[in-house]
Amino acid sequence: MSSSTLKLSVDEFCSAQGVSRSILVEMVEYEVVLPVAGQSERDWVFDAVAAHWARRALRLKADLELDWLAVGMLVDLLRERDELVRENEQLRVRLERFLAGE
Amino acid sequence: MEFKDYYKILGVEADAETADIKTAYRKLARKYHPDLNPGEEAEARFKEVAEAWEVLKDKERRAEYDELRKYGGRREDFRPPPGWQSGAGAEQFSGDFSDFFNSIFGGGFQREEAQWSGGFERSGQDVEIEMPVFLEETVSDTSKPVAYEIPVIEQGRRSYQRKSLKVTIPAGVADGERIRVKGQGAPGSGNAPPGDLYLHIRLVPHPVFDVEGHNLLVTVPVAPWEAALGTKVVVPTLEGKINLTVAAGSQSGQKLRVRGKGLAGKAGRGDLYAVLKVVMPPETSDAAKALWQELAEKAAFDPRAQWSEQP
Repeated sequence: MSSSTLKLSVDEFCSAQGVSRSILVEMVEYEVVLPVAGQSERDWVFDAVAAHWARRALRLKADLELDWLAVGMLVDLLRERDELVRENEQLRVRLERFLAGE
Repeated sequence: MEFKDYYKILGVEADAETADIKTAYRKLARKYHPDLNPGEEAEARFKEVAEAWEVLKDKERRAEYDELRKYGGRREDFRPPPGWQSGAGAEQFSGDFSDFFNSIFGGGFQREEAQWSGGFERSGQDVEIEMPVFLEETVSDTSKPVAYEIPVIEQGRRSYQRKSLKVTIPAGVADGERIRVKGQGAPGSGNAPPGDLYLHIRLVPHPVFDVEGHNLLVTVPVAPWEAALGTKVVVPTLEGKINLTVAAGSQSGQKLRVRGKGLAGKAGRGDLYAVLKVVMPPETSDAAKALWQELAEKAAFDPRAQWSEQP
C-alpha cells in the first residue's frame, strides 16, 4: 500500500518540477504557488495542489512565452474559474433537485 | 506512417518567414493550449501545433524537414529515406511527439526539458489521474485500487507501461483535492528518483446527497399538511437512517440541521442539512378538493401580500 498526502520540501519540489530555487522564489513571489508552511525560503513546504499548478504554470510560460507576472495572473484566474465551475455545477444539481417534481 | 504537413498544421505557406510562423504558432497555442482549454481535442491539436513549431522555428530542422517534404510529402505512407539521420536533432528530447517526428529527428525530444535549468538530474515525470471517490468512502480512510499508465523511454523511444497499485484515500478528502503518492510516477533518468503519482479527487455525484464544503444536504419532500401540522420523517444519512421532527408551520426551503452527520473534515464531521420541499399531491379527489376549498376560505392567507403593498 502506498502512503499519500505527503508534502514536498523545497528540494523535492524543485527536482520534481525541474526548476532552480531562484525560479521557485519567483513563482512564490508572483503567487503562482504558495507554500503551505515554512517561514523562510529554506523551510517552505508545498502540497500536491501547488505541484499541480506549478506544472501547468511552467507549461503555459514556455508554450505561450509569458513572463511570471502574466503567469501569476493567469493561474489566479484559472484557479478562480475552476472553483466557479465546480460551485456552479453543485448549485445546478441542487436547484434541479429542488425544482423537479417528485 | 502519415506524413505531417507542419505548414498546413500552422496554416502558413511553405515559404513563410519565421516571424510569420511564430505569429501563427502563438495564435494557435493560445487557442488550443490544454491548460486553458479542457478536453482531449484541444490537447491533440496543441500537440500537433507545438510539434510543428518545434521543427519550423529551427533553421536546420526546417531545412531537413523541407527536404523530406519534397521526398515524402505526396506519399500516403511515409518512411524516412534509407540511412536517414538528422543532423539537427542533437538535443535530448523525450517528449510526447509523434512517431513521424521521432522517425525524422530521433526519439527523446521533450518540451518541458527545454526550460530545465538546474544542475542536477531530473526526476521522473509526475503522473496525474482523476480519482472518483464515493461520498460513503470519505467517512473513514479507504483503500482503493488505481490503474494508470506511465511513460517510459526505452532506447530513445517513448512507450507506456501499465501500472496498478492500492492507495489510501484519507478520511475527509474534499472534491478537487490533490493527493501525492510518492515515487509512483514515471522512472527518473539515470540515478534520478522516479516521479510521483498525483490523484485528483472527484467526489462522485450522489443520488441523494449534495455537498457544500463539509456539510451534506438532503432534499426532503413533505406534503403541505405535513409542513402545516408538523410530522416525523425518516431521513437517510451516509450511515443509516435517522428520525427527524418537522415542526408545525415549516416552510419550503427551510433547512433542518443534523449535527455531525456531514462529511469528515480536519475540524471534525460536518453537519447534514435536511432541506424541506413542500410537494403537492399529483392528483386530487373531489373530497380533497372540497377540503382545500374550505381551507382557502378559512385560512385568510395572502402569500403575495408584499406585492399589494407596493404602489
